[in-house]
Amino acid sequence: MTTLIFLVMAIAMMTASAGYRGTAIGLFGVSFIAAVLWLDRYAIEMPRLPL
Amino acid sequence: MGPFVRLGNAAGAVGIATVLLIAFGLQFGLNEPPCPLCTLQRVAFVLCSFGFVLNLRFGVQPLHYGLTLLGALFGVVASGYQVLQHIAPGAAAYGSPLLGMHLDTWSLLLFFAVIAVAALLLMMSGRPDHDRSDHQTAMRFRGILRFAVYLLIAVTLANAANSFAQCGATECAAKPTGYWISQYLR
Repeated sequence: MTTLIFLVMAIAMMTASAGYRGTAIGLFGVSFIAAVLWLDRYAIEMPRLPL
Repeated sequence: MGPFVRLGNAAGAVGIATVLLIAFGLQFGLNEPPCPLCTLQRVAFVLCSFGFVLNLRFGVQPLHYGLTLLGALFGVVASGYQVLQHIAPGAAAYGSPLLGMHLDTWSLLLFFAVIAVAALLLMMSGRPDHDRSDHQTAMRFRGILRFAVYLLIAVTLANAANSFAQCGATECAAKPTGYWISQYLR
């Protein structure tokens, strides 16, 4: 999944440097949502705070 | 966009690319593949850099800084969560420390630094570049500005290749010890 996120971000940067701002921001949005979902999948353990 | 703000955005982009290259150096130098949360922090650095890329290509706009801040907030959550996992005395952290701190702690500090830099650049940016034509902004996108963006693209593609080599099409192991692709290279 992270491979896909990195790839989409690389495409977003290339799209931006080619001048397509709207498409690039859309790809950023897709990557951001995927990254949040992927973090939610891994961040399942409660932090063990020294209280 | 003034030359100082333009250079600040280029420095932000090159700085993030350098952080990702240092992470690569430590990964291969110490032979420690990144854990899934560590990889997500790399993703967060790439997300942060995107606002700088847009500023360099299209001119400064608050929306672009907003994207950088969103990426940095995601990074704060990812690295902060990992720091909290080993904040208790005796809890083991992942990986070797660098200059006395683990990489997740460094990441947390760097994401705060990105937020501070983006806020400063936003304050110094003045009027947004809405009134400039795409041709004008494209004409200014050259030299070190173009180099900064291309460097970021190269580092992001390298991270994609690294992530694929480590995990393949499946999920990464919680504490990785090797590379998924190595089983096909024997």
